[in-house]
Amino acid sequence: MPMEMEEDKIASLSVVSPIGRVDGLVAPDLEKRISRIVESGDTRVLLDCGRMSYISSAGLRAVLASARQCQQAGGKLALCALQPACKTVFEVSGFLSIIDHHDTRDAAVAAES
Amino acid sequence: MLTFAEEILLLMLDDEDGTFLPTRTSAVEYVLAGAVLLDLAFASRIDTDERQLLVLDQTPTGDPILDRVLTRISNSSSTRDTRAWIEKITSEDTDEIRSMALDSLVKRGVLEARDEKFLWVFRSRRYPIVDGRAEREAKLRVTGVLLSDDIPDPRDVAMICLVDACGILPDIFSEREIERATPRIEQLRKMDLIGQEVGGAVAEIERSIMMAAVHAPHY
Repeated sequence: MPMEMEEDKIASLSVVSPIGRVDGLVAPDLEKRISRIVESGDTRVLLDCGRMSYISSAGLRAVLASARQCQQAGGKLALCALQPACKTVFEVSGFLSIIDHHDTRDAAVAAES
Repeated sequence: MLTFAEEILLLMLDDEDGTFLPTRTSAVEYVLAGAVLLDLAFASRIDTDERQLLVLDQTPTGDPILDRVLTRISNSSSTRDTRAWIEKITSEDTDEIRSMALDSLVKRGVLEARDEKFLWVFRSRRYPIVDGRAEREAKLRVTGVLLSDDIPDPRDVAMICLVDACGILPDIFSEREIERATPRIEQLRKMDLIGQEVGGAVAEIERSIMMAAVHAPHY
């Protein structure tokens, strides 16, 4: 199922902003779309989670697989603007120990681009 | 590709004689139940969060064990969380999961089933490895993930959760390697929500057994 998502380019960063729930129904689409960006040569991806309301275990796997793909292509995936409910899930699963996270999109752009 | 249940059973086998390595108490049953849920999750049939396990797609996978568990979950009138499903599958399906996964490995030519008698009466079955490629590949993947700092593949994370939960890492690594890999193991064991619950279920049953032993009357 296609997920509602915005894509931007800020400096050297490709910014992907999922909107709403990132669950097993839309996680494959998120992974596919980030994969397309990386394959096109843009290996520095910022996942802006400001409008992500929920993430399931399938969503986490999609984020992990995307972060791995960016790293393998010589780039990086970072997260920003995690809302409290999603931030808790990312913390409980230890993702924030291997994927950099910034409080706001501006802070992420300043640090990552 | 092997299923998680097939891979973990392969790793639990003693290379020398085809018997099963000693594992943590009751761990194998929980780990096999978790392995099936992980296979269903990776096949996009189920999804989980901290509160519930949901069916996304009832379409059969073609694997008899996965489909049996998928049907059980789909037909359930109550919503359960991942831990509750691990416990239910553990109590109702793990003997079947184990025997069907072993049969599948024998059919694929990975293992050979050898029935033997000891003390002339008791029968036992061993599973000597015939083709060691799948087992070597699984061990290499586990080793590669644990001894590197790279972002891991989600499938490898799930496998580490299962290997860690059944306590067979000392059979794969030296004491020194385990010491070196401990921070990485602690990091990875949290990274799959289903894998996390498998580890939690095994730890809980071990705690219960220990408490029962402490409080048992001593004669």
